[in-house]
Amino acid sequence: MRSRSRIWLAVLGLLGLAAGSALAEDTQKLTWSGVDYTKFLWSTARDSGGLYSFTTIPSEAYGNNGQGTELELLLSAKPSKHVEVSGRIQSRFNQNFWTNFGGFGGRSNFIDPNNPCVSGDCGEFDSRSAQYVKFRGLTVTLRPGYSWVDQVTVGSSDWGMFDPFTIGKIRYIDRDNGSGLLFQGSAAGRKFTYDFARISLPRLWAGPNFQTGTYHAQDAAYGLQLGFTPSSTFDITGVVQYVNDIEVDNFDRNRDDGRDIRTRFRNTVVGARLGVHPSSTFDIRAMYYKSSADSIPELGAPANFFGLSGFSPVPAGELSDDAIKLNVDINDPFDNGLSFSIEAFDIGAEYVSMMAARREADVLLTEGHDAAWAFPGPSNAAFGVFGGNPTRIGYGGWQGSAQQVATINVDNEFTDFEEPMAETVIGWKGFTIVPSWTIGDLELKAEYSWIDYNTNWQAFDDPSRSVTSSVFPVHELDTGVGHNFRSAYAPFQDKETKIAVLSGRYLIDVGRGVDLFGKIKFVDETDKRLNEARFLPYQAGDCPGGGGACAGNRNFYSTGNTTADIYGNPPVITVNGVTGYQWKPFDSLSDDDRDLSYMMLQLGAGYQLSNRLYGSLTYEYYDAELEDGNTAFQAYQLHELASGDHQKNKVMLYAHYDLGGAEFGANYEYNFGDFDPDFGSGFVVQFADEATSASNNVPVGSPGFRGRFGGWNSLETRDFEQQRLKVFMKVRF
Amino acid sequence: MKKLFRTLPLLVCALLFGALPAWAQAVSFSDPTGDDNGPGGYTYPTDAVYKAGSFDLTKFEVNAKGDKVEFEVTVNSNLDDPWRMGVGFSVQMIFVFIDTDGKEGSGFTDSPPGVNVAFAPASAWDKCVILSPQAFARVHQEIEAKGGAMQASLLAPNRVRGSGRTISGSVSLSDLGGGDPATWGYQVVMQSNEGFPADNDLLTRKVNEFEGQHRFGGGTDGDCDPHVMDVLGEGQAAMLAYECNADGSSKKKATLTMVRKG
Repeated sequence: MRSRSRIWLAVLGLLGLAAGSALAEDTQKLTWSGVDYTKFLWSTARDSGGLYSFTTIPSEAYGNNGQGTELELLLSAKPSKHVEVSGRIQSRFNQNFWTNFGGFGGRSNFIDPNNPCVSGDCGEFDSRSAQYVKFRGLTVTLRPGYSWVDQVTVGSSDWGMFDPFTIGKIRYIDRDNGSGLLFQGSAAGRKFTYDFARISLPRLWAGPNFQTGTYHAQDAAYGLQLGFTPSSTFDITGVVQYVNDIEVDNFDRNRDDGRDIRTRFRNTVVGARLGVHPSSTFDIRAMYYKSSADSIPELGAPANFFGLSGFSPVPAGELSDDAIKLNVDINDPFDNGLSFSIEAFDIGAEYVSMMAARREADVLLTEGHDAAWAFPGPSNAAFGVFGGNPTRIGYGGWQGSAQQVATINVDNEFTDFEEPMAETVIGWKGFTIVPSWTIGDLELKAEYSWIDYNTNWQAFDDPSRSVTSSVFPVHELDTGVGHNFRSAYAPFQDKETKIAVLSGRYLIDVGRGVDLFGKIKFVDETDKRLNEARFLPYQAGDCPGGGGACAGNRNFYSTGNTTADIYGNPPVITVNGVTGYQWKPFDSLSDDDRDLSYMMLQLGAGYQLSNRLYGSLTYEYYDAELEDGNTAFQAYQLHELASGDHQKNKVMLYAHYDLGGAEFGANYEYNFGDFDPDFGSGFVVQFADEATSASNNVPVGSPGFRGRFGGWNSLETRDFEQQRLKVFMKVRF
Repeated sequence: MKKLFRTLPLLVCALLFGALPAWAQAVSFSDPTGDDNGPGGYTYPTDAVYKAGSFDLTKFEVNAKGDKVEFEVTVNSNLDDPWRMGVGFSVQMIFVFIDTDGKEGSGFTDSPPGVNVAFAPASAWDKCVILSPQAFARVHQEIEAKGGAMQASLLAPNRVRGSGRTISGSVSLSDLGGGDPATWGYQVVMQSNEGFPADNDLLTRKVNEFEGQHRFGGGTDGDCDPHVMDVLGEGQAAMLAYECNADGSSKKKATLTMVRKG
């Protein structure tokens, strides 16, 4: 017995030694690094809900004042040559203000849906203000050395190996929010490559109604990408994306054999990308994607949306459509620095890819709309006719022009004003021509884009249905100066957009070189919206005028369906002895017409002031003459009417200082301008009472009109003046 | 007033056109296509931003005018700016090594940190111009922090830009030590812009044994392999040939030679 024990001890000892030496051989150092990202926000808008400029998410906070710090810790290790690990933990700005004094205390009734936690007032009771540090992502990369697979990734990824039309690079708060499995392989010297992924479906937004149902744990998106690059002059890639949002079948009463499942939402995209690169002069790329999607209402997916206020990342029901793009680049054909880029595109109205890029991608060549006009109201407010809906991103909007993404699931959440804004291009079709000319220190670039819309239709393209029961979510609807970033659908649309841009950049050879830049941009946009008389809400002559009440004889465009459901007749009112309609009756096809004449001018200069400090000063002037419907249309009753003349000025001062390991940036904006409303005639002007003044922030006694839903549209000329500043420090250690 | 706003930019452009410079001296080199694989087996990272041909050097041109020398590097793919660097390109970074004196043993035979190549004594370099999409201050700070003895010889143009397929930047002739650029020797090293470089890398992207989403593959996990995707001239495979010791240290470094006109 004793000898047996000794043998076992010897064996264990040997095993221990072997293990010890193996550990000594394979143990790699764990590398930690970190980032301190400290942000200072200041604005005369005085919002202090959170340390981000923008969110649309209910119960989330936004703001433009305050100081806060994010701590990010990154770790990496290589246990063996076959295995690599990287991970990240990080705190979050959100409501973690320095003024929280470490995030202690706070409101005790912190779980109150009617009183959400904002501005850090829930202190340590809400993780968004308790300075918590959160596990963000962990990635294990395995390289087993088999011929059929180069590497397997388990865990977090931004999935940037696919493309923005199918599975786009994902960033919600972080670039590693998404997790899954990824297999990548190649053959014939990487002439053939494949990527296969199973991504756990983000329950936060990747399904109808921004959710994936009750049973989310096995929901997934699958991606397969096969690439063939036989030479540097030709490549072709096939890609498939499949999203499967499943639910437990509640009709399956027999649980003894497990439980059946049913699909709540499925989405398939099949596509191909072709590249022909015959010479350094010509480059041709073509892309084609075919999508289909299906939502099942009995499993909780919406069957339709209330016509004027639907929100969802995908239309309801069965959908099928294409997205096509062709790019031709002609590089310096005359050997004089003049090049051309040409793009033709056609993105279907019902094109759906649930995992398409939501931001930080730019699928079209055009620079699109300017981010200074991101939301419907003159101040970038949405639903601003109702009290309590002030602008979030501010009068200045975001900086620059919008990036284009092929989804209505656009995500600009938790961004600051100097970050890029994304806009949807669902339904866009047309072409863009961009000549560019580089001669010495001068760069000139122009653009002409013509955009038509696959979403040009009447009654959501289905006159058999009520306009208040559409399968298309309209989000913030398409009113105002700019293109509301996630609005692709409107009940009635007959729209056309032309964009012309000329930009230049020149380096003046003085000192370290003065960088001069400028741009002039024109947008001409028309939208006839409701353009057939059969869709007018009431029969001709229904409202006689002269103080006479409207008869209320509805006009039905199909059995039981009438636009009177949204464009109801006005009551007769008397104000200061004037009797007439509260708003103009919708009795003309021109009542909702849109005609935008838009000009933007930018001039700026930048200079490297020292080896460490760069500064630039930019001035932008915007002039928009907009007819966007009259008081009959009322911007769909939900938003501020923006018809009239808009002038906006942005003075931007930018500075960047690099101290080697510590980086500082400052972005200051002085935004000022005015809006001179012109809402047409045919209504009796009302004057704001004390309650209206308090809820809509207009002077008592100021003129305006009250719409169908009780919203207030001011007729006062509005003068805007806002300053804002973002300063950041990033220290890498 | 609106008319003024609409015509002002046109006037500015017209003035700028009137100020177009005329280039004087030019030296041009071409490089074979399809050799963006380092010593022969290097592979691109797997992220979609690294388009085929992005690191395939096809042409190098030096233009001199007055006190300015402009360097133009052309690659085999249209430039994109997916990371919004603001200069027309994102993923590339280029080292232009210059032998201004042509004297054997005069200059550096080592490379800036992160490149992992040597230069033959007859091709020792005197100046190196870095064409990076990073802001000047960032490049300058990296040079200051990691340049060591080479610091004064590493130059960053105040402004670098990408247009079409060409990346360019200029420095003053005096910073290059004066002379005639047409008589100098050149070597161009194609690397990738890494915003989060390792401690000892000068904004360079690593080459590992296996490619990753943002790492080149086909080399080794140590630093005995050249972290270079393409260089100027014929005989690239021979120049970039390397050997490693068992512990990952360098046994024989990849050794580059200069290319000269005429």
